[in-house]
Amino acid sequence: MSRLLLLLHTRLALRTTAIILLIVTLLGVLFLALAVYLRAESVQREQQSRVQELLTTVERTAQIGCFLGDRQLAQEVTDGLLSNNIVSAVRIDSSDGTILASGRADPEGEPAASVVRDVSSPFEPGTSVCRITVAPDQAYIDKLVAQASNFIGGALLLQLIGIGFCVVLVVVKFVTRPITGLSHRLSELEAETGQQLQAPRGNKDDEIGQLVISVNAMIDNLVQSLGEERRLRLEREVEERRYRAIFDNVEAGIFELDSAGFVRSANPAFLRLFDMASGTDLERHPVAFASLVGDGEGEMHAFAVDDEAGGYERQWEVALDSGERQRWISLILSPLETGRLQGVAHDVTERRKAADAAERMAMTDALTGLGNRRGFDHRLAVMARHHRLYPERCHALITLDFDHFKQINDTYGHPVGDRALCHVGDILAGLMRQRDYVARLGGDEFVVLLEGCNQRSDVEVVLERFLHRLRKPLEVEGDIEIVIGVSIGIAMVGLDTDDAEQAVRFSDIAMYAAKRAGRNTWRFYEPVTQS
Amino acid sequence: MNRVQRLLIASTLSATLVAAVPASADIAVVVNAGSGIDRLTRSDVVNIFMGRYRKLPTGNVALPVDSSSLKARFYRALVDKDLAEINSYWARLVFSGEASPPQQIVSIGDVHQLVIQNMNALGYVDSSQVPADMHVVLTLSE
Repeated sequence: MSRLLLLLHTRLALRTTAIILLIVTLLGVLFLALAVYLRAESVQREQQSRVQELLTTVERTAQIGCFLGDRQLAQEVTDGLLSNNIVSAVRIDSSDGTILASGRADPEGEPAASVVRDVSSPFEPGTSVCRITVAPDQAYIDKLVAQASNFIGGALLLQLIGIGFCVVLVVVKFVTRPITGLSHRLSELEAETGQQLQAPRGNKDDEIGQLVISVNAMIDNLVQSLGEERRLRLEREVEERRYRAIFDNVEAGIFELDSAGFVRSANPAFLRLFDMASGTDLERHPVAFASLVGDGEGEMHAFAVDDEAGGYERQWEVALDSGERQRWISLILSPLETGRLQGVAHDVTERRKAADAAERMAMTDALTGLGNRRGFDHRLAVMARHHRLYPERCHALITLDFDHFKQINDTYGHPVGDRALCHVGDILAGLMRQRDYVARLGGDEFVVLLEGCNQRSDVEVVLERFLHRLRKPLEVEGDIEIVIGVSIGIAMVGLDTDDAEQAVRFSDIAMYAAKRAGRNTWRFYEPVTQS
Repeated sequence: MNRVQRLLIASTLSATLVAAVPASADIAVVVNAGSGIDRLTRSDVVNIFMGRYRKLPTGNVALPVDSSSLKARFYRALVDKDLAEINSYWARLVFSGEASPPQQIVSIGDVHQLVIQNMNALGYVDSSQVPADMHVVLTLSE
């Protein structure tokens, strides 16, 4: 059973045949039923008419028998009728109500619809003398119908077998074979070489031919798109080689970051920039980008991850302290796709150095090499910001002014004056710590910022040492020695005032107080001196 | 006279075949005047002559007689059948013995004789020649 199902499932011809046979069988059964029904009807009619004929045959005798009331003759008629196998029962009733004769052929047979004939007198046609009732034999009729049905059924069965056989033959010959052959050829076809499928002979113009044409069109399309694909791949390889050449040989470092902030790939220039071995396998051992950049690790990491979501380009510069020299590197990060960032790194140390030099020059006094007014303003602003952040820390602001500097210039000339200025500047610079700042504001006016100077006594210690060194005369032009005097005013930021600008004014006031006190000394700002 | 009569009848018959039947040539069914039977219906006559009933209305057994000279005309007039049919009818009944045909008499005179002698006899004559001592019970027009 399952094998049959498998065959039906895998064989088109069998399936088609089974379906057609099923349909034909159903129709056959329908037709058979109809035919049997019609046949039964017609047999019934035939038998009725045969009975009528029989009655006509015996009518004259029956007329006479009835006319004379002759029971013997009537019985003769009855027996004659019963001798026909289609008659099962006969009865002759005289018109005066008596039964002249009756008989049954088969006592068990079921009588069908009876045929009744009124028999008239042989001499007076209008006068009825008796009535003959004949019952046809239903069993015999049924037998006839069954015979007819068997014949029709047999014919239909033969037809069914014939149709089934023919359908199998036709389907195998015209459908299955060509399709099987086609499928076989298709499996052996080397489509990539552009080889085409051949339609089976005799199927060129029908549906199978159409199928072959469609398959060939598909093969053409495939070959075409394969060629296109190949061309694009070649193009891409060339592109890639070109890109690779640029990637490997460019001076700029090119790298790629993943969403976790790890460097996934980098070119040789990048490795050189970050002092990594040229053979470093970043694919296998990714390096955290933040660890390369060093300082500000957390910020850098957060930035790298943020930027991926932001989707716009970001540029900034980082300083790298690798051993003996400091380097500046500019980084540009741009999103490549979700979870990937592309970065370009440039060594901008030279530019940065030049910029720093220019900045320094702009803030430096050309004569003494100390800060100038611009530098002082900048530094004062830094200090003010610092003080706002840490108000508990105090700073000292010192203003120095030469005593009688005009006389030095007038007496010995400007070069000597300049030397004196440089001398004082050198002494001041020698006394300062790293955090402190000295500037010449112009002429003979100097300013000193002492950062983190909480007590006035600390300032006094510094100034004692300054005045002590200043007392040693400056030798100029061989034997000439000059002694320089300086008046000094001090204002404490955090003690006298919290405002840096005001502190400048306060230290000025204090400096004038020192001048009034006899020069070459110092004075702290005191509020009472205002009055 | 008989011959003349026969000739006449023959000529009349041939004339009948060609033209309309003359009204005078009816056949009368006759009985003995003293039989007590006044009239018979056509059915009664058919039943008696075709052997269905044996008895007369009087209760006596009837004795129908055929006369050969008028037989063909009589049966044609009575049941519209020719002699062959009448003969075949009786032939069919010979073996059953249930009924028997009327007595066959050749001449009219013999019929006359029989009817005169037998009260139950039943015969037929040409209606134009009914003897006075016979009683007509039915006239059959042709």
